[in-house]
Amino acid sequence: MTNAKLHILGLKKEKRTAWLFILPTLILITCVYAYPIITTLVYSVTTIDISTYTIKEFAGLRNFQYIVSNEFFNRTLVRTIYFGLMVVVVTILLAIGVSLLINIDFKGNKILKILILLPWAVPPVVSGVMWSQMFQYEYGFINKIIKIFGGEGDTIWLGSPTLALHVLIITEIWRWLPFATLFIFAALQTIPHSVIEAAALDGAGYIKTVKEVILPIIFPGVIPVAIFLFVSAMKAFDTIFVLTAGGPRSGTTTLNYLVYLQGFQQFKFGRAAATAYILTFIILVVIFVVFTLNRLTSKRRLIND
Amino acid sequence: MIKRNFLTNLTIYLSSAALVIFILSPLYVVAITSLQFEKDIRSPNLNLIPQYLDFRHYLAIFQPDHIVPVLPAMRNSLIVSTLAALISVLIATPAAYALNRMHFPKSKVILRMLISVYILPTLLFIIPLYIAWINLGLFDTYVGLLILYTTFMLPFTVWVLGSFVKSIPIEIEEAAKIDGASTTQLLTKIMIPLLRPGLFACLIFGFVLSWVEFATPLIFTSKIKMITVSLGLYRSTVDIQIGQLAAAAVIITLPVILITLILQKQIQQVILTGADR
Repeated sequence: MTNAKLHILGLKKEKRTAWLFILPTLILITCVYAYPIITTLVYSVTTIDISTYTIKEFAGLRNFQYIVSNEFFNRTLVRTIYFGLMVVVVTILLAIGVSLLINIDFKGNKILKILILLPWAVPPVVSGVMWSQMFQYEYGFINKIIKIFGGEGDTIWLGSPTLALHVLIITEIWRWLPFATLFIFAALQTIPHSVIEAAALDGAGYIKTVKEVILPIIFPGVIPVAIFLFVSAMKAFDTIFVLTAGGPRSGTTTLNYLVYLQGFQQFKFGRAAATAYILTFIILVVIFVVFTLNRLTSKRRLIND
Repeated sequence: MIKRNFLTNLTIYLSSAALVIFILSPLYVVAITSLQFEKDIRSPNLNLIPQYLDFRHYLAIFQPDHIVPVLPAMRNSLIVSTLAALISVLIATPAAYALNRMHFPKSKVILRMLISVYILPTLLFIIPLYIAWINLGLFDTYVGLLILYTTFMLPFTVWVLGSFVKSIPIEIEEAAKIDGASTTQLLTKIMIPLLRPGLFACLIFGFVLSWVEFATPLIFTSKIKMITVSLGLYRSTVDIQIGQLAAAAVIITLPVILITLILQKQIQQVILTGADR
């Protein structure tokens, strides 16, 4: 056999081995992701008989029509988007602040770097329990502090839909701050200290340096973090389940939680499947818009430079 | 260190203090609550700085007749989390190697597909899986939970291990190839020993992810025998023993907090390589 033939034989053999290496992953992915994604799509245009778990009838687009024409759905949609935006914007702003802070050389900054990671390791159920105790109206920490500073301290935080939604937002921010900080801090560290110091020597104030030097450099690194946070907020479930169970008066029901309620409380699997697809569609649209905007602005920045 | 004026220093320490309070206060409140008498927890004049420490809530939750079996829950979580982390690393390692180092058609597309799974809401898969799990007899079983835990972290593990594979110089492999090593030998004899830090980091990460998992056991188990820590904690919220609830929260959080503190380098590495695209 010639060398070339041997080489081709070798490549063929390598390809077969590669397939074997990937096969277990592909099988699991197909069974646990691909099959359900397609089945959910089928369910979304049917009604399911929950005594036998089989398809009862073809419903066409009735599930979607029912959902979209529902006033409750519209309010949930607006609430979900607001919740997502708040989590993304506040977490990112805080993470930038924290990153700038731990980038400064001062006593205690090492401890701060470790502490900031802690919420990541706290099970979401526990953070739900913790924050519900923090905001408990009779003996919660928050009301106690308000009393110490001379306030009334009798707000029933989890009793009002609006307040409860913001308690939920705080809980989610607390949970995702470590992750966001880790990334933005990593982006920040790519800037050499000399650049920051040079700006300082130029007489530019710290705030000016941050605005004109640091933020433009870390901005590309912020986009993926923002998308990750948005997707996480859209997928939030555990904290909602434990903290508020979607209430009061559905004030903390997001689309994802609505899918759960429709599926596993009302056992309307067809309707839940349709809502899940609407949520997926919204997530995809938002990601697409952010990427397109980012491409456009980065092009413009290039031209301006 | 650059000399800073008083005002700058003050700003630095004040914002550090605010950050520490924000991060730690919920943890502190739960820890304190777990160590106070129930009647004091409920009284409006509970001290923020404890006057005494009482461990009775901890004893109570470990009693065999407690409403939520904490010890069995911890055992279940330990078994499922350990196995899920092991299996996912075992399956992901050859896949990560093949997708990053071998001649494989469309490996880029497969990698991208794997990671885009995370964009999709989990509830998009759950309904058909729930029905399938009931029909296949996987509902309320270790195997059923294991398949789900393993697969939910699998794309991420393949992705992260892929970055570790790429960081190993290709020359080492080429030298072994010239010495006549087969592909399987390359993986087991050359790559795996070099990948050890990455494999370890992924194991730890996978364990923590499984330990905190809540929605999966909530939907795919119902028997108290199958209860996991997160679910157990939630179930104990139906009881209104706040002290015991707080004690249970501390007990199930402590292992993962300790792991995070001790292995923070590895965990940071996994998180950063995981989404660094």
